[in-house]
Amino acid sequence: MSLLALHNVNKSFGPLKALNDLSFEIGENEVVGLLGDNGAGKSTTVNLISGIHQPTSGHISVDGKKQSFTCRRDSAEAGVETIYQNTALVDSLSISRNIFLGREIANRFGMLDLKAMRDISMQVLESAVHISGIDSPDKLVGDLSGGQKQAVAIARAVFFKRRVLLLDEPTSALSVRETEALLGQVLKLKAEGVSSVLVTHNLYHAYQVCDRFVIMSHGTKVLDVRKADTTIEELTQHVVLT
Amino acid sequence: MTVTELSNDRATPQRRSAADWLHHLLSMPAGAILLVFLVVQLACIIAGLMFPDDFRYLSSANMGIMMRSVPVLGCLALGAGILMVAGEFDLSIGSVYTFTAIIMAILVGNGVDAFMAAPVGVLIGAAIGLINGALTLRFNLPSFIVTLGGLLFWRGAVLLINGAVQVRFDPNPVFDAMFAGTLFGLNAAFVWFIGLCVIFYLLLHRHRFGNHVFATGGNRSAATAIGVNTARIKLIAFAIAGGMAAFAGILATTRVGSVQPGQGAGLELQAIAACVIGGLSLRGGRGSVLGIFLGVMLIFTITDVLLLMRAPGFYLDMFIATLIVVASIFNHGLDRRGGAL
Repeated sequence: MSLLALHNVNKSFGPLKALNDLSFEIGENEVVGLLGDNGAGKSTTVNLISGIHQPTSGHISVDGKKQSFTCRRDSAEAGVETIYQNTALVDSLSISRNIFLGREIANRFGMLDLKAMRDISMQVLESAVHISGIDSPDKLVGDLSGGQKQAVAIARAVFFKRRVLLLDEPTSALSVRETEALLGQVLKLKAEGVSSVLVTHNLYHAYQVCDRFVIMSHGTKVLDVRKADTTIEELTQHVVLT
Repeated sequence: MTVTELSNDRATPQRRSAADWLHHLLSMPAGAILLVFLVVQLACIIAGLMFPDDFRYLSSANMGIMMRSVPVLGCLALGAGILMVAGEFDLSIGSVYTFTAIIMAILVGNGVDAFMAAPVGVLIGAAIGLINGALTLRFNLPSFIVTLGGLLFWRGAVLLINGAVQVRFDPNPVFDAMFAGTLFGLNAAFVWFIGLCVIFYLLLHRHRFGNHVFATGGNRSAATAIGVNTARIKLIAFAIAGGMAAFAGILATTRVGSVQPGQGAGLELQAIAACVIGGLSLRGGRGSVLGIFLGVMLIFTITDVLLLMRAPGFYLDMFIATLIVVASIFNHGLDRRGGAL
């Protein structure tokens, strides 16, 4: 059964039709590459799944049940975490305060249990996310590199038991080594039962880790193919020529 | 130095060399300003010991002046500071400070008990803060502009209500003792200020609310995305700034025994200056209560030293101005070095 699915979704912004009858699904333990050139509708799709936009018609389902996400919190509660490049972390707060932001461990008077937050952060960073250079949860996020920041965002998603990670252009600001680490992380999470959607126009990064590819053009799906049934040349052709 | 070594240093502080210790101090929030403060204090104490007759820094009279002067600016700065961390300004706090004090003094003059009148003043201050916040957020305006309006509006309101004359403030003796008396040899207002510093420390650095204040000022879209109600956080911060301005008014009015219509002019800028000296970022999201405290203490100490050295009064502003700019350069430089650590 599909974990997350879009059913005949349309989205218009005034006269502009951004998505046109889009349907695709993400299965359990699956890494899906959502590919397409600029303007293909990838970002709109991400915003719909994470609850920032609502479909004009059609709907989203999780575990086969129809859902309507009206804000990011709704999608998070359904188990979807969107990881944008930089936007979701606060530079002037420490790693552990970022991981627990909005979901702090506190007593009934609201006083934070900083030690517990620090210990758990350290544990998550050590066990779930291996990106070099992070070994103190007290470091300010502003002092981290792009890849380390994404590692923190992923650690947050992992700790709060998300089932689908939506990674929006995750590799565009990363060094080669950080990219490798991030893609390795995606595979590791898959082994632990977390599905991912890699939204990117870097076909090579997608080809390394994805099980399936959904290619979009002009707001609609033009190809939905398993990795075994395609080649990187075919994918390139579809992205460039449609 | 790699990160691993740094964290080992933290685990075994006794093995840290002096240079490491200094490095650690400077990388702390407000660490640089703490260092400056300690150096200035040390210099003043040594000078006070060497020239006890010419430089009466350590005299009990001077200590008393310090304890009476610091709390008013301190309370204003605590409120202004929490709002700055949330990413907004309040330029109206000087006017609110005078306006609420006048209201309180008039109420007491008409027979209302001071223990009733003072909370009314604080509530009015908080309400004015809420209005500032609501206007800022509802119309998506810079709070600088909205509260600049507030500064002029409430300054005018003082004159409307009472004209350009002073109002006497004669509270009952218990109230007077609580806000202007002494406790264990310490000035009551100073005890209030220290107590409020502790409360603000717990609120900003140890409470869920503080985490959300930093997130709101540091990256509003991220905080919103993660589910923090940033508008509510900002509104509460505005209310705190207004309430603290009114509280500062209570302390000042009880000490002096009257309210002057023009007494708050310029205080809002001094409060913001104290915050900037203490390392708060004008863009929000950065700062500490220790920094605010030290900023206030440094402004006072510089003023005090100049007075003790009998410098003519009108030089004071020039020194404060220099302090603000030098402290900002210092903080900014450390911020950037901290990023390269």
